[in-house]
Amino acid sequence: MLVNIHSKRIFNLAYQFSGSYQAAEDLTQEIFLKLYYSLPKFDINKNFNAWLMTLSKNYLIDQYRKKKLENASRDEFNEHLLVSDTYKGPEEGILEKENKKMIWKGFDHLSPDIRMAVILKDIQEKKYDEIAEIMSLPLGTVKSRVSRGRLLLAKTLKEKKEKSNGM
Amino acid sequence: MECKHYEKLLSPYLENSLSLDERKAVKAHLDICQDCRSLLGFMQETIKSLSDFPEVEVTHDLFNRLRQIPEKKNRFKLRFDFLLRPSLQPVFAAATILLTLFSFYAFNPNRDQINRSVNRQMHLGFSKIEKLYARAESFTDSLGEYKDDIMVSLKNLNPLSGDE
Repeated sequence: MLVNIHSKRIFNLAYQFSGSYQAAEDLTQEIFLKLYYSLPKFDINKNFNAWLMTLSKNYLIDQYRKKKLENASRDEFNEHLLVSDTYKGPEEGILEKENKKMIWKGFDHLSPDIRMAVILKDIQEKKYDEIAEIMSLPLGTVKSRVSRGRLLLAKTLKEKKEKSNGM
Repeated sequence: MECKHYEKLLSPYLENSLSLDERKAVKAHLDICQDCRSLLGFMQETIKSLSDFPEVEVTHDLFNRLRQIPEKKNRFKLRFDFLLRPSLQPVFAAATILLTLFSFYAFNPNRDQINRSVNRQMHLGFSKIEKLYARAESFTDSLGEYKDDIMVSLKNLNPLSGDE
């Protein structure tokens, strides 16, 4: 039951955070194992989704620090895995894919806390107060982290585009 | 220096979460700064691309592995849960000490010396026991010898016979 409902969300979070498909599979299994052991501690008066996301976020950031994932680079942007559902014409489609590739690699430059905040806000499209609950942080800190993450990614995109245009 | 200040305000500017004065100030800066205007454009592209990152599907294989986790956990719980009882802690402690001693012996480079020393000590122990055994036998023999004399003395010393 839990697997049916939550596996896709957890797997996507792990994949977006780690950038490696293989690592994301391992991390998802470890998160579910941790979830089954932690279930008795769950307070039924609380929001289960937020609790699960907090557990996943904590595990991912812990593993990132323990396994020194900061030195590991992300998989190549896989067009088969991350192909967009909506077709937007050949030219626009190519431009968007290029942007996505550059941003995907740009996540390497973000610290785990900032990376997590940006993923939750801009990819998983959560509200700031939800992210504050998941990350157990004040609202202002979350906004600041998202802002810093966006700025760093925008600068990376700008730099790479200027380089590819020979500027 | 001025651009650094306004860069930090670009994200809240796009979200319309600045105060009116701050918004006016950012707008005024953007009108005169090409770099910040360009950065704002890249930030908009970044946010748009991120929101369009499609979800990855969970493979059938991973899905099955995830579904097996509770079974594995329960199997472990049924078979090995008794190992986690606090009452078994002294047993684990003793086993740890024994294992430590065994590994000290098994991986010691001077194991032959230890074997010789243990053999010598055991040999000495056995010879001591043999000596004690021999002494005990001689003691019982001498007790047997004295037994006859004591019996004769008791008979001669008839306590009911006289004034003595």
